[in-house]
Amino acid sequence: MDSDVDIAPPRERGHGDRASPRSPEGAGGLPAAARVTSHALIAGLPVVLLGVVAVVLGPQITAALGNRAVAAWRTVFTAIVIQGVPFLLLGTVVSAAISTFVPAWVFTRVLPRNPALAVPVAGVAGAVLPGCECASVPVADSLMRRGVAPAAALAFLLSAPAINPIVLVATYVAFPGNPQMVAARLIASLLTSVVMGWLWIRLGREEWLRLPKGPTRHTPGASRAEEFRVSLQHDFLHAGGFLVVGAAAAATFNVAVPHSVLRLFSDSPWLSLPMLGLLAVILAVCSEADAFVAASLTGFSPTARLAFMVVGPMVDLKLIALQSGTFGRAFALRFSSATWVVAVLSSALVGWWLL
Amino acid sequence: MKRNIQVLLLLFLGVGLLHISLLTDLYLRYVRPGLRPALIASGVLLIVLGAVSAARDGFPFNRPRTHHGHDHGDGHGHAGGPKVAWLLYVPALTILFLAPPALGSYTASRDDATAPKAPSSGDSLFPALQDTGVVPMSLNDFSARAVWDTSRTLKGHTVRLTGFVTPGRHGTWYVSRLVISCCAADAQVRKVRVHGAAAPPADAWVTVTGTWHPTGKIGTDDASPALDATMVTRVPAPKDPYNDMVVTRPGRPGR
Repeated sequence: MDSDVDIAPPRERGHGDRASPRSPEGAGGLPAAARVTSHALIAGLPVVLLGVVAVVLGPQITAALGNRAVAAWRTVFTAIVIQGVPFLLLGTVVSAAISTFVPAWVFTRVLPRNPALAVPVAGVAGAVLPGCECASVPVADSLMRRGVAPAAALAFLLSAPAINPIVLVATYVAFPGNPQMVAARLIASLLTSVVMGWLWIRLGREEWLRLPKGPTRHTPGASRAEEFRVSLQHDFLHAGGFLVVGAAAAATFNVAVPHSVLRLFSDSPWLSLPMLGLLAVILAVCSEADAFVAASLTGFSPTARLAFMVVGPMVDLKLIALQSGTFGRAFALRFSSATWVVAVLSSALVGWWLL
Repeated sequence: MKRNIQVLLLLFLGVGLLHISLLTDLYLRYVRPGLRPALIASGVLLIVLGAVSAARDGFPFNRPRTHHGHDHGDGHGHAGGPKVAWLLYVPALTILFLAPPALGSYTASRDDATAPKAPSSGDSLFPALQDTGVVPMSLNDFSARAVWDTSRTLKGHTVRLTGFVTPGRHGTWYVSRLVISCCAADAQVRKVRVHGAAAPPADAWVTVTGTWHPTGKIGTDDASPALDATMVTRVPAPKDPYNDMVVTRPGRPGR
């Protein structure tokens, strides 16, 4: 309610000051016209103000931003946000649809009752959500709200960005003549997500998971479409804010750390594995593109590159930011570090077996 | 975040996305061309969402939603959007008013060129170049041949490369490109050292005509791509700075 109090009084006063000398009686048409004008004024004001600021201060701001490192940072930051927004929007549309249009019994019917069995099923089901990791966080969140066991939803969260067809085709294209890499990526990613699901059943605590209180779903009296809109808007703005945080962190590392530093470690097979795992975390490349980046990391062993592709969609700076926004920081830090370890180990295992 | 501010944010972001993807080609500075339909669709969806919210909420004022049961007692408050969403104003206004430039020589000079991959089988992947005239080549193709092509198909040809200027150490310079696979965060460097011409200013786009300058032992990591320039011409910056492909006439292999 406080927001209404904040906004409304200035409007009333503005009306009184300006409109009353001319029409003290408030003739029928005038208040409406004044109301429309003031609506337009208030709506247009921020745009005009920002435009003026941009035009007047533009050169100065551009000069301050002319520093080449700052310019590179802004470009990388903008790039990460821009490429994340469509996928985030896709994810929030799917998650809003799940929470408004799909009845809860669908999930209890489809998934095995036993969480230990539901985990692998959910992991494999990750293959159906095309998109990169930004999309999977809101979807996993809405699955949990709909009564899916957290362990199963988490397995889905991890596997969806890593094993969907688009990503696997991209991997196939990036490593021509090397289909083992696609198989290894699929197996290692599935393995990691299932192991993490089981680990959650075994060690996870409900209190780490903080599901945010969005606008209450299923409001009596509100139409389904209205509910969908409110939940879409809330989820998108919420996750979008955290995407910005993650993009800023990733851009900082991207610009501050020259990638050539990592080449120092390319000689040691045991160090190169965790090093590329770390690189995947700080680069925050989207999962549809990371195969191309991995392919360009010549000089590293295939297993280390596999680790880069397995860790990337599951743990990176923008994902950690998104997860802490959705599930809470206590969860995000624990879950991400455990996932990182499991992902590196399972890529080592699968790489040793297949590559 | 108040509801009217949320509406404004959705509209700014939607208009910003349409501004960079539909009305201008600014999006090519940040993401790959294939993302354009997704960006346009997102922009339209955000504007529609913002418009519907504006109509429902009586923009620009926060009309109390008396018809909704959950207005009171919810900790968030009916108008309370997530505070963190304020941060979205930064990219939204950035792309509208202060679109940052494409990555350039700063990024290219900080990273070693990632040599294109060695072809896996023989030299068949390097078809002979056309015999007559100047051969326009991508930096990618030129570097791959200069480093890995043991049959030396570059020898005796005059080639033309296009890219931006990256200054090197001690007055050397490179004609360079950044190649992205998804967005500017994954840019990889391609650069060819230019001999025999004075360096134009950094970040200027140039076309360099010249002949191959063999450096190091071909077929090993030791080799590096270089060119003896006969002519350097300033050209306007291309629309898609990350696209290293050279338009070829149909029927002729090459990139």
